[in-house]
Amino acid sequence: MDDYQTEEEESAFVVEESVEATIGRNTYQHNRVNQWSTSVVEQCLGQLGKLGKPFKYIVNCIIMQKNGAGLQTASACFWDNSTDGSCAVRWENKSMYCIVNVFGLAI
Amino acid sequence: MSDQQLKHKSHRREKRTGKVPSEASHGARGKETTGRTKDSVSTASYMDDLGHHDDNARLVVTIDNTYQLDILKDVLTSYLQEEKYESEWSQKMTKTICEVIRARVKDLMIPRYKIVVLVHIGQLTGQSMQISSRCLWDASNDTFASYSFKNSYLFGVATVFAVYFE
Repeated sequence: MDDYQTEEEESAFVVEESVEATIGRNTYQHNRVNQWSTSVVEQCLGQLGKLGKPFKYIVNCIIMQKNGAGLQTASACFWDNSTDGSCAVRWENKSMYCIVNVFGLAI
Repeated sequence: MSDQQLKHKSHRREKRTGKVPSEASHGARGKETTGRTKDSVSTASYMDDLGHHDDNARLVVTIDNTYQLDILKDVLTSYLQEEKYESEWSQKMTKTICEVIRARVKDLMIPRYKIVVLVHIGQLTGQSMQISSRCLWDASNDTFASYSFKNSYLFGVATVFAVYFE
C-alpha cells in the first residue's frame, strides 16, 4: 500500500495545473462558475486517476467572488494516518478565490 | 442586505472501469430572491438477503445517509443559530463543528468505513460562490451526505463522505 503523504506534493501540483488551466485568466462570472468548478474538479480527478495509484479520491472545490467577505473551511477525518492523506490548494486572481481540497484514501 | 439563493444539484453517475465518480454542488447567488434550501436526501432501502458481505455494507450505507443528515442538521443549527460572523470565532467554530460531527458519526459505529468531514462557514455580503465535489470511488459502497444552513449574517455547509475500506 502506498504512503499518500509522500505524494501530496504531486497531487498539489496536479491540482494547481488544473485550476490554472481552467480559470487562470478569467474574471468571476456567476453564470459560468458552475461550469468552471465542474471542469476544475473533473480535470483534477482525471489527472489523479491517471497517476494509477491504489487510492479512492475525494476532490472538493470552492470558487468565491472577491467581495471582502470572510470564509473558513475545516475538515476532520477518521482514517488510517499511515496510508491516507489530504492536501489543500489555495489559488486566487483579481476577482475570485479558488480553494481545492483533495483527500486520498488507500484501498 | 440581499438574500441569497442556495441551489443543490442532483448528482448523476457514470460507469468507468469499476470505479464510479459522483458529484455534488452548492451555489449561492447575490440577488434579491427568496431564500430556499434544498438538501441531499437518500432513501433507506431494505434488502432481504444479508448473507453477502457487500450487500451488508450497502444496506448500512443507504440507511445511514439519513442519520448523517440529521446529525449535520442538528450540529449546524445548534452551533450557528443566531450567530454573527467574526473571523476568529468562526475559525474556532469551523474546527469545533468538524470535530463534533466526526465524533457523532463515529458513534454510529459503522464498521469498515473511513469518514471525511468538511465544513465551510462564510460571511454573507452579497457575494457569489460555488462549492462542488467529485469523487472517484465505488458508488455501491461509498456515499456522502451534505447539509447547508443560513441565517442573516452567515452560512454554513457541512459534508460527510463515507468510504468503504476493503
